[in-house]
Amino acid sequence: MPAPPDLPGEVLASWEAIRSMKIRGAGRIAREAAAALAGAADAFSGRDAREFLDYMERVAAFMREARPTAVSLPNAISFVMRRLRDARPADVDAGRAIVKAAAREFIEYSSRAVDAIGELGARRLRNGDVVMTHCHSSAAAAVLSEARRAGKINRVYVKETRPRLQGLTAARILGEAGLDVVLIPDSAVRYFMKDVDRVIVGADAVAANGAVVNKIGTSVVALAAKEARVNFYVAAETYKFSPKTIVGELVPIEFRDPAEVAGKGWVADHPGIEVMNPAFDVTPAEYIDAIITERGVMSPYAAPLILLEEYGVRVWGAGVDEGKLHPEEMGRASDT
Amino acid sequence: MPPEDTIARIASGRIYGSTEVALAALEDIRAESSRGAREFAEFLREYIPRYLAARPTSIALLNALREFLGAYLESVRRGGTPGGDVPGIIDSIISARRAAKSSIAEIGARRLKEGESIMIHSYSRTVIGIIRRAVEEFGTGLTVYVTESRPIGEGLSAAEELSRLGGRVRVRVIVDSAVRYFMKDVDRVIVGADAVAANGAVVNKIGTSVVALAAKEARVNFYVAAETYKFSFETITGELVPQVVLSEASLIAPPGRMARLMGRAIVRAPVFDVTPAEYIDAIITERGVTAPQAIPLLVRDVYGWPPHVPGIHSLLDEVRTLAGAA
Repeated sequence: MPAPPDLPGEVLASWEAIRSMKIRGAGRIAREAAAALAGAADAFSGRDAREFLDYMERVAAFMREARPTAVSLPNAISFVMRRLRDARPADVDAGRAIVKAAAREFIEYSSRAVDAIGELGARRLRNGDVVMTHCHSSAAAAVLSEARRAGKINRVYVKETRPRLQGLTAARILGEAGLDVVLIPDSAVRYFMKDVDRVIVGADAVAANGAVVNKIGTSVVALAAKEARVNFYVAAETYKFSPKTIVGELVPIEFRDPAEVAGKGWVADHPGIEVMNPAFDVTPAEYIDAIITERGVMSPYAAPLILLEEYGVRVWGAGVDEGKLHPEEMGRASDT
Repeated sequence: MPPEDTIARIASGRIYGSTEVALAALEDIRAESSRGAREFAEFLREYIPRYLAARPTSIALLNALREFLGAYLESVRRGGTPGGDVPGIIDSIISARRAAKSSIAEIGARRLKEGESIMIHSYSRTVIGIIRRAVEEFGTGLTVYVTESRPIGEGLSAAEELSRLGGRVRVRVIVDSAVRYFMKDVDRVIVGADAVAANGAVVNKIGTSVVALAAKEARVNFYVAAETYKFSFETITGELVPQVVLSEASLIAPPGRMARLMGRAIVRAPVFDVTPAEYIDAIITERGVTAPQAIPLLVRDVYGWPPHVPGIHSLLDEVRTLAGAA
């Protein structure tokens, strides 16, 4: 998508950072997008309120495309834009103030959400539990760090998380929180599962049926946990719940560069070999014991309730409340 | 290759496949057989335990060395010399193994149907032999999903070898974490084995049991291709197949990336895992396809029951006794 011509450089930088995964993790992507909207509002130099609204819509649409598969990204943008649209500001200054206040509100809410998840999730762990985690998730790390602070847990198995090795980030953060970290290859998930009491992972998106989209390999961990009767928890802020899924949309799975898996040289030397590099997989609700949100611990099957409360999406009857969803989402809803 | 090098390469996984490991040890023994009887006996007593320790899970290696020692002791008792008899003994072990592999390739290839997608894990010469036979002799077109098979990552070598089979094989490399993602596109899984235990469980590269679990969930057939010489006789008497767990940080990431973690995290990288019999639809052996639960019956037919197989240490003791008497 071409950038609006009057887009400030910092917005382009945010877009690029999200696209290239320099900024990753659903929470950070969402906060970055909210901040980018505030930055864009600041940088607007026109005088006309109508123009300002159009400009912000273009910025919002542009930012959404940075990572088309990240659910938190459109949710953060909707959070801010909904307030702007509902307010119908009379002048640019008022509009700018609304955008900046909404962005600040979202960023604060999002940061507090992770702390709240940490506290709620830590209550779920018992003394002496050995925990396994996959990839790096701020929310899951908050639970583990809080449980460590409370003296409940000591040892955590962290999976390397190929191809990008986000397990190294998780290992460093959890190690700094005072946990004994055991770093294991992804293929050893079943081998070690019998030593584990609980699994906690984050989420990139939660669908209306309670299925969780997260880093590739999450569903393998969930399957191995189920086989071993180990509890499997997902730590996810409510802005990771995907409103589109309730109208039948599938969460798209992004396929990334083969070089992430095998290296540029190897890929170039072996043109006859395809490297398939899906970034995410889907863990069905039946493998998930609970989703820990900032609003409480709930069954994955309660996902429609969260969507109802947060986004005004109705499960029965009218389908989607037109006032609460972005027009783009409405278009899809009416197609369905 | 000097024995020390071979041992180091086996221990680090640079010689990976269970068959390659056995062949490398046998070739070393052949090279040492030009020594005198006493020196050769000393070599065997010193190095055979070290080959075994380098890959304690490789039952193909254990059984090949056991077979060699049995035949060598026979030769010594008949008054033979190492230089005179050892090369022939080794040739006959190797040719029996080749024949078994070829027979498995034939049997396994018949199980693959035109247009199917299969998934493999790790590098197995036996499995590659099956795919090669299916493609080259039966003209079967296949898509093969190949896992990286970390740590070590020998899946890439398997992918390279398969890609040389030409256009009838479409080769797709995936990370180990993606096995469940792609399982719904797969018709069958075929893996090799380091060892088959008396209860029908299979010891193979770490991650094999994860693939098996994902296959079971998706109702995809899971086959193990294993020659009968991979059967672990020791497990009949209750012994467990030994585990190998490495702890080198470099198995996870290059040293630069691991530096910030040092002192905060330890690495535990098991090299093998155990796939329970209940996840295995069939074991393809050179004598035919069998249920994992029927493995003891197959062993009885080949070796009698209980199978009369001497322990490796008693064979080595005998080597010393005979060398001393000579």
